Amino acid sequence: MSIVKTEQLTKVYGKGATAVTALNHLNININVGEFVAVMGPSGCGKSTLLHLLGGLDRPSEGKVLIEDVSIADMSDDRLTELRRCKMGFIFQFFNLIPVLSAVENAALPVTLDGVKPAEAKAKAAEWLERFGLGDRLAHRPDQLSGGQQQRVAIARALVAEPAIILADEPTGNLDTRAGDEIANLLQDVSQQYGRTVIMVTHDPRIAAYSDRIIFLKDGKVIDETPLTSVDGQNDQTTIADRVRELGD
Amino acid sequence: MNPLDKTSNLVNNLLQWKLITWLIVKFMSVRNAILGLLAHRPRHGYELHDAFEAMVGGEQNWDIKPAQVYTTLNRLEKLGFVIEDGVKQEGGPEKHIYAVTEAGRAELHDWFNKPLLSDRRRDEFFLKLMLSVVVKDGDPHKLIYIQRAGLYKELHAITTQRRQTDPKTELAYILLLDQAVMHLEADLRWLEMVEARLDEISRQPIPEPVERPRGRPPKGE
Repeated sequence: MSIVKTEQLTKVYGKGATAVTALNHLNININVGEFVAVMGPSGCGKSTLLHLLGGLDRPSEGKVLIEDVSIADMSDDRLTELRRCKMGFIFQFFNLIPVLSAVENAALPVTLDGVKPAEAKAKAAEWLERFGLGDRLAHRPDQLSGGQQQRVAIARALVAEPAIILADEPTGNLDTRAGDEIANLLQDVSQQYGRTVIMVTHDPRIAAYSDRIIFLKDGKVIDETPLTSVDGQNDQTTIADRVRELGD
Repeated sequence: MNPLDKTSNLVNNLLQWKLITWLIVKFMSVRNAILGLLAHRPRHGYELHDAFEAMVGGEQNWDIKPAQVYTTLNRLEKLGFVIEDGVKQEGGPEKHIYAVTEAGRAELHDWFNKPLLSDRRRDEFFLKLMLSVVVKDGDPHKLIYIQRAGLYKELHAITTQRRQTDPKTELAYILLLDQAVMHLEADLRWLEMVEARLDEISRQPIPEPVERPRGRPPKGE
C-alpha cells in the first residue's frame, strides 16, 4: 500500500537563464513500512526531494501525495498538522536543545502540541527506553555521545507517533560504529514499529540497511535497487529490465 | 585450425588457468588452516572439518566438504607435514587422529611469516566495463547498475548476518564480516567514481597493443 507518492514532481530554483532544475518530473512510490534510502551525487536533488516530501517546500510542478492526498491541495494549517502528526524529521546535526534533558528534548514536540508534560515525558521515556537510553533520561545533550544524541533525536521524531520518518544524512555526523547503530535503529523503526522511513544518505554502508535504494542523478531517478526480496521478484533480470525501461 | 576454434581454445585455456589459480589459492589456504588446527591440537578428519567451519562462522561463509579435508590430510601426510597419531573408536567406524610433524610446523611458520596479497588489478568487472564501452550495443551504464545492485544486495546480506552476531562471544566472526563489508564499500565507491567519469572514459578508446614487427624482416632490407 502506497503511503508516499510523487507525480511528475519538479522543482526549479531561480528563473530564466540562471534557473536550476533540482528535480525533473520525478515519479516515486513508497509503501507503508518500507525503509528507503535515497542516494546520488551532491546536487542530484536528494535534499530537495526530502524537503518536498516533508512539505517544507512547494514544488514548481507535479505533486506529492501522502496517503493519496496531494499536499498542494492542503491549507497551510492542514500542512502544519500533517508535518506535526504524520511526519517525523531527523537531521545530520541532532538539533537538540542544550539546556534540556534527553527526556525533555524527546518530549518537546508533543509538549508544544499541548499534551500534558507528564504524559509527554512518559511517552518520550518509553521511546528512549526502547532505544537503550533508559539510564540516560536525565542527561543533557553534552553528557551524551553523538550516537546517543541521535537516538534522542529519533525518539523525539517518534513521540508524536508519525507514520513517516524523513531522515537527512542521519549518520553524517557520526563515526562508523555509531552510524551502524543508528542505521540498525532505523531498520527497527521500519521493521518492528512499522513506520515508513525515507533516508537520504551518501554512505553505501548505511544505505545497505534499507529495503530499497533510489538513485537520483540530475533530478531524475536513474535506478532503483530492491535489497529485500519482494514476492521473489528480486532477481537480476527484473533489475536489468527495469534499468532498460529507465534508460528509455 | 579455423580462427574461431583458436579463440575458443584460448578462452578455454584462460578459463582453465583461472580455475587452477583459484584452486591453488583455495586449497593452499585450506591446507594451511588444517596444519594450523593440527598444530593447535591433534584431531581426526571430521573434527577438522567442523573446527574449520566453526572458525569461519559457518558454511555460508566458507563451505568445505569432508572429502576435501580427507584428501588434504592424505596429501599433507605424503609431504611429511602430518602423521597419524592414534585411532579413536566410539561405537562407529574407527577415526584416525592426525598430528603435525616438525616439518609441518616449519611449513606453518613459513605461512605465518609471509604477507598475503590479493591482486586487485586482475578485475573481471573492469574487463567487462572496458569491453562494454567499445562493443556495439554494449551498455556500460546498465553494467554499472547491475553490478551496483549485486554489491548492495551482498552488503545488505552481510549487514543482516552481522546484526545477528553476538559481539560478546563472536568477535572474530564480526571482524571477518567487517572485512567483507569494507571491501564491498570500497567496490561501491569505486563504481560511483567510474559512473561519474564514464563519459570521459567512453571518449578515450581502450588502449590498443603497440605494433611490433613480427617474424623475419623482409628480404633486401
